[in-house]
This record gives sequence, C-alpha cells and structure tokens, in this order.
Amino acid sequence: MTERPWLAHYPKEVPQSVDNAGFENLPQLLAKAAGTYAKQTAFTQVMPNGMNGSLTFAQVDQHSDSFAAYLREVIGLKQGDRVAVQMPNCLAYPIVAFGVFKAGLVLVNTNPLYTGPEMTHQFADSGAVALIVSDMFADRLADVLPKTQIKTVVTVKISEFFPPIVAGVIRLVQRYWNRSLPKITVEHTWFQSALAQGKKARDASRASSYLTGVGNHSIAALQYTGGTTGVSKGAMLSHGNLVINTLQMIAHSGEGMRAGKEIVLTALPLYHIFAFTVNLLGFYHNGARNILVPSPRPPSNLRRAFDNYKITWLSGVNTLFNALLNERWFQDSPPKHLHASAAGGMALQASVAERWRELTGTPIVEGFGLTESSPVITFNPLTGLAKDGTIGIPVPSTDVKCFDEHGNEVAVGEAGELIARGPQMMLGYWQRDEETKNTLKDGWLHTGDIAQMDSDGYFTIVDRKKDMILVSGFNVYPNEVEEQIAAVAGVLEVGVIGVPDEKSGERVQAYVVTTLPAPTKEQIVAYCRENLAAYKIPQDVMFVDELPKSPIGKILRRKLRDQAVASRTNSDNTSKGA
Amino acid sequence: MNALRIFAEEAANQATVVNEFEQLLLRIFILIIMFGLGAGLTPKDFSLALRRPWGLVIGWLTQFGIMPLVTYILIVTVLFPFSSPEGIVLVALGALIMGSVPAGTTSNLFTYFSKGNLALSVTMTVNSTLWAFIMTPAVMFIYSNFLGLDESLSIDFAELALVIVGLIIPVGLGMLLRKLSSNIGAVLELMGGVFGLLFIPFLIIIWVPRNWQLLLTTEWPTYAVAIGMGLAGMTVAYYIAMALKVHPSNARTISLETGINNGPLAIAVIIAVYIDNPGVDQILLVPALYSLFIVLISTAVTLVFRRANLAAEQKIPNLL
Repeated sequence: MTERPWLAHYPKEVPQSVDNAGFENLPQLLAKAAGTYAKQTAFTQVMPNGMNGSLTFAQVDQHSDSFAAYLREVIGLKQGDRVAVQMPNCLAYPIVAFGVFKAGLVLVNTNPLYTGPEMTHQFADSGAVALIVSDMFADRLADVLPKTQIKTVVTVKISEFFPPIVAGVIRLVQRYWNRSLPKITVEHTWFQSALAQGKKARDASRASSYLTGVGNHSIAALQYTGGTTGVSKGAMLSHGNLVINTLQMIAHSGEGMRAGKEIVLTALPLYHIFAFTVNLLGFYHNGARNILVPSPRPPSNLRRAFDNYKITWLSGVNTLFNALLNERWFQDSPPKHLHASAAGGMALQASVAERWRELTGTPIVEGFGLTESSPVITFNPLTGLAKDGTIGIPVPSTDVKCFDEHGNEVAVGEAGELIARGPQMMLGYWQRDEETKNTLKDGWLHTGDIAQMDSDGYFTIVDRKKDMILVSGFNVYPNEVEEQIAAVAGVLEVGVIGVPDEKSGERVQAYVVTTLPAPTKEQIVAYCRENLAAYKIPQDVMFVDELPKSPIGKILRRKLRDQAVASRTNSDNTSKGA
Repeated sequence: MNALRIFAEEAANQATVVNEFEQLLLRIFILIIMFGLGAGLTPKDFSLALRRPWGLVIGWLTQFGIMPLVTYILIVTVLFPFSSPEGIVLVALGALIMGSVPAGTTSNLFTYFSKGNLALSVTMTVNSTLWAFIMTPAVMFIYSNFLGLDESLSIDFAELALVIVGLIIPVGLGMLLRKLSSNIGAVLELMGGVFGLLFIPFLIIIWVPRNWQLLLTTEWPTYAVAIGMGLAGMTVAYYIAMALKVHPSNARTISLETGINNGPLAIAVIIAVYIDNPGVDQILLVPALYSLFIVLISTAVTLVFRRANLAAEQKIPNLL
C-alpha cells in the first residue's frame, strides 16, 4: 500500500508538512495575530436581539496581559497551576483563556451547563486552584467549592465590554425579566475588578518570566472528555499540540480561509475543543472577526448575527446545520457572503450537506477529530476534491491508518479502528496512566472509531466501536441506518441504537423526531427495506419529541440506550414492535 | 413617580380637559413606542414578510376589516339600545376610533408569551401602523356615516390622515436607527415594549383619579363595548385564521394582533382632532377603558392559548 496516498489530493497551496513555525508556545502565536491585525475587530458578541459588543485584537491582547498579571501577581498562582473556566461564548472568554496561557498556567475548560457533581469531579480531578465563572451559574459553587482546591473565584457578566447603557439594559433584563442572576454566596471578585488590579500590578519584565521554560511540550490545557462514554478525564494538550493543530488546520484550508478577511460565526461553545481550536485559536491567528453567540438554541438566536454581519464562515455540527436549514428566515434569506462551512463533532448527513450547498451555494466539508487530537485529524479539502460522506484526508504532518483487532493494518476499503499519529496528539490523560496506555500506543492515538480508507486516501467513519450493533452476528453501524432514515421526508432527527434481544442478541431500534406531515413507521421501514440489508432494518421505530444531545448538539446514543433499558425494566410488557 | 402623583391630584382638581403636560407625556409615550416598533425591524424582515405575505394579508384584513366591524356591531347592538341617549354618540365615536387604529405594540409581548410567531407579530404591527394613515380615515369614513354624527363632530379625513402620519413617522426613524446601530435599535425596541406597558399605570395615575366621577356614572354598555371589542376581535380573528388553515402559532399571533389595538395612538388622535370639542372626555372614555382592560383580556387569552397542546404543534412546519 502506498504511504500517504492522500498527499496526491492536497490542493497545490497546501504543504505536506507543518511544524510549529517557530512559535514555542501559544502566547507567541497569539502575539503574532495581535501585532499583525491590532486595529481590526477580533471578537463581536451578539445577543439574540442584536445587542452587541466588540474588542479589537489590540484590546484582547492588552486585557489578557492584565488578566495574566492578575492571576500571577494578585492572587499569586504559580506556573503550571490549573485555572478552570466556565462560561458561555462571550467577550471575556478569549481574554481569560489567553490570559491563562500568557500567565504560564493550565486552562481547564468547563461546560457551564454542568451540574454540581459534574463540576466537583472536574475541578477536583484537575486540581484547579482558581475558577473564572459566569455569574449566571455561580449559585452552584457553595456546594462545589469545599470539595475542590479552588481558592479564587472570578465572576464574569455576560455583558462584559458592551457599551455601558446596553450592558445596563442587559443586566436589568437578566435580573428582573429572565431572573437569571442568582445570588452568589461564595467570596468572589468581579472580572472588571480583577482586570483593573492586574493592570496595576503588571510589570513587563516580570510578565515575560511567566513563560520561562514553557515550550511546545508544556501542558496548555486539560480538556475534559469522555462525558459521553464514561467517567470524564482530562486530555493533556500541550502548547505544541494546540499551536501545530491550529497551523495544520489553517494550512489544510488553503485558499478556503483568507487571512484577515473572514467573519466567522462562532455558534458552537468555545469550551468545546472544536470551536476552541478552529474558531478561537485558528480564526484569531488568521485575523478573522469572530462573531460570538452565547447560545445557539433556539436557532432563531442566530438570526440577528446573520442579519447584521456579513458572515463568511461557519463551523458547526450536523444538528446546527440541519436546524438552520429548517428555519424559515434562513431558508428565505440564506447568508449572501458565506464562503465556506466546516462540519465536525458528528457525521454530517449527506442530505443535510446537499441541502446546505443547494441553499447557500457554498461548500460544506466534513472533518474529523477528537479532544485527544486537539482536535483536527482529517478534513475534506476546501478547494480540492471533497467527497461527501467521508471525513476527508489527513491534515499535513498527520498519519492515519485503519487497524483490525489483531493490530494489523487492514486493506484499502476494509473497516478497522482508525488510529492516528501526528504532532497534535495529546500528551496523555491527566493522572490516568492506564487509560493513556490504552489510548496512546507508540505515538498512535487509538480513536475507538471504525473507519475505512479508499484508494485516494479518503477516510469514511463507519461508526463508533462501542455503538456497533451486533444482530445475529452481523455488524450493523447506526450511522448507516440513521443516514437512510434521515432521508425520509418529514424526518427531522434520528438516533439508532441496539437493544438486547432474546433471539438475535441485539436488535436495531430507531428514535425519530418528525415534522408534519409525519411519516409512518411503515413508510420509514419501507424506505430502509429498499436501501438496507434485512438485518439492518430497524425493528422498532419510536417517535419522540426530542433526542438527548451533548452540549454541541451531538446525539447521545448512550443516553438513548440507557433510556431504552430503563423503560424495559420498568415494564415487562414492552411492545415487541410488531 | 411621587411628583407625578401630586401633579395628578392637582390636575384632578383642575378642568377636566387634558392639559398640556399630559399631552406632552402622551407624545413622549407615542414617540418612544413608535421608535421602538420601528427599531424592532430590519429591511430584511420586510422582504421576508413580502415573500410569504399571507400572514400579513390576513392580519391586515382582520385589523381593518374585522376589528372595526366588531366594534360597530357592539355599538349598535349593545351601546345604543341599552344606554341613555345623552352623549352616547360621543362614546360611540371614541369606540369607533379605538377600533380603527392599527395594532398596538403590546401584542408583540403577548405573542411572545403565547408562543406565537414573534417575527410575524412585529411585522404585522408595523404593517398595520404604516397603513393606518390611509386605512383609519377610510374605516372612519365608512362607519361614521352610520353613527349619524352632527356637524360639530364631523371628521376632516385629510386632517386625520395628517395627524396619523405625524404620529407614525418615528417608526421609520426607528428602522433607520436600527440600521445605523443595532445596539441603539435593540435598546429602543425594549423601551418601546416597556413604555407600551407603562401606559396602563400612566392612565391609572393621570386619567382615572380625575375621571372617577365619570367612571362611576358610566353605564355598563360602555364597559361592555370597551372590554368586548378586544375579546370579540381576538376570537373572530382566531377562528378566521384557523379556517384559512394557517399554522396555529400564526393564528394565535393574528388573533392577538387584531384584538390588541394601539390605545395611546387612539388617544393621541382624539386629542389632536377633538381637543376643542366640549365632549372630548366622552370620546376618550372607550379608548381609555379599552387600554386599561386590554392587558387583562390579553393575559386571559394568552393563558388559554398556552393550554393548547404546544408540544404537538411544534412539529407543524412553519410555512406561512
């Protein structure tokens, strides 16, 4: 087999390999953009009603310097200390994240929707000593903090850096209308006060010492993952991982991503690795204007952002693209200036990709990655041959192979576990040697995803290893069944799982969210019968109002399985699905 | 607020005609409400609405067709037969003006609460407001003939149109401001909504104390008309929209839009046109009562709407 057959399909401007370009750590990467694009707008936060605030590259740079000084000088953190950050997309986010990097500390991104026990686990596991948290969620801290090592809490308002009157109105609405500002009972410092203290305490010569010894192999972030598969663990992403993956992603995008010109809509949460690397680091480095949306749900929240800004780029997951395609305002007036869109996080359904291209007239490509790989491993080329249904080809300096369960590489076209090697692979899991050994073997990251490669070097994800359904000894991949059901008219979303079955071991069960007129179970099964082998056809089709989803909108099959098992044990007379 | 109350008490002892300070306050109210209405819109909203115009067309028809008709029917079936004849024509004239003005901005708020189509609501309100300078005089022209108004009350329709144009100009300015700054636009939009609601306490503080005697002597048919026109307008419009098979959330929107009229605008129009008429208090009676009660009626209707099976409806494609 040819080594790296995909290289033949790199667009001509895409290099075959990428290194750290001399950036020894993230702050050096950030400084480059801040210097080049100083006066341009770096971030604009847009509320659902169109209220907005903005920061230039220079402002982000200065404020993050102050915040770094606050962390080091005022509260006395030491290099390598962990700082947890828990907030939705807002203008304070880049300042905090960049400040943490500039201070030589380790960022611990935390989902703001976490419950108390989840927060406790993540804070305690990471050993975070400081927490920067949105004031909307700070009411849970009284129970959480005593079980962690957190000593400093900085609270952030959603309206930070908005014009004063607008910020005041937002506060009033939050307090008296939405009642979303809980009473905070723990000791805390307001973000603006922290910035002011940091600015005062900052000393340029001492600031440069924060990063002494912080190089490519130093930990930059503990990015927690596994919430969808088991106990959450922190992937140790180094400065080098994140710097290089940013540069790999930009290089791989070629002319699809124009330096200094893009306006990217960041609807996915920045605490998630996809938006963190692609939008926050990648587009910032490329001089783009990031339009931050605090919450993309309901999708009408994105309307003013599309109305008021000439969005050229959109990164998202299948669920988001699908939701937009189903919005009337979006159908009637698709973004005129859109240049390209990138999908990741879950399989981009062919029907969604086709409708997206038809409506917007712009390319949408699917990529693949994991938290453990910072995250980008493969991407369809934006300017070259893009193959729908595939996750594309590996980004520069990355090797990908498919292995069978005996550790041998499988032939072209055959399915095996996708393993990947490259400078973006994590250092390991934080304080979990056993899991690290199982996942990183000889520098190869074992992804747990079943994939196959075609002769051009394009990979297709067949499914998650653990989602595979075994029906009478035959492998059924939920993705394949979902893809067919999603193509039935009237199907909005679908999740397919395997449930235990006396006769066949497991059987295929589909959960479907419909629009009206809704298709019947018979219509769905009939469609599957035309397109799928008999053993893959769902035996049960359940119609539900919604499907359980992860923070970025990934459909959670594990939760569906849990629900299915729970409902089974609850009633012995489960319908056998005729 | 306290100063306002003292002022109101003083005013209560003065002549009953609306004084200049109150007129000024009213103008400020209208200005902010209209600014806010325009600021809620982008030119894109208009082009979207024009692409799928059925909601707007149905709303337009119910606004200027059903609402005045319902009001007129209430006048001839309830107000005239059951009231003492003295001054009742003035009350009827006020009711008719109230029924002919465009939709009020509080409809947007109640649409939001009843899970209606907010975008449709805002465009409908703006649409009917912009049409008002033609349609309100036209509707008045049709129905005022039936009332048998004497010389002193005869309406100069060109003047009426001009008054309305003056009152709705800020809508356009609001749209312009929104285009210039979405921050100013969004703040104005919120303020417009708040002031639309503040109009109720404004009435209670300024108008009710001074007209206490008048309210006590007002006969029940006047109350019935003031309360009934909104309720009947909403009911009829809802069933018409449902009969035309629009999406239920749009039917709720059209219903609220139709029933909730712009009280402050009606009052401002009456003051502008009839300030010198000795019967102006009588003319203002229904618009003021309507403005007081419409919030209660809308709340009740919203609660009824919310009881509908909203989860089932969400699956219906929103194609109107």
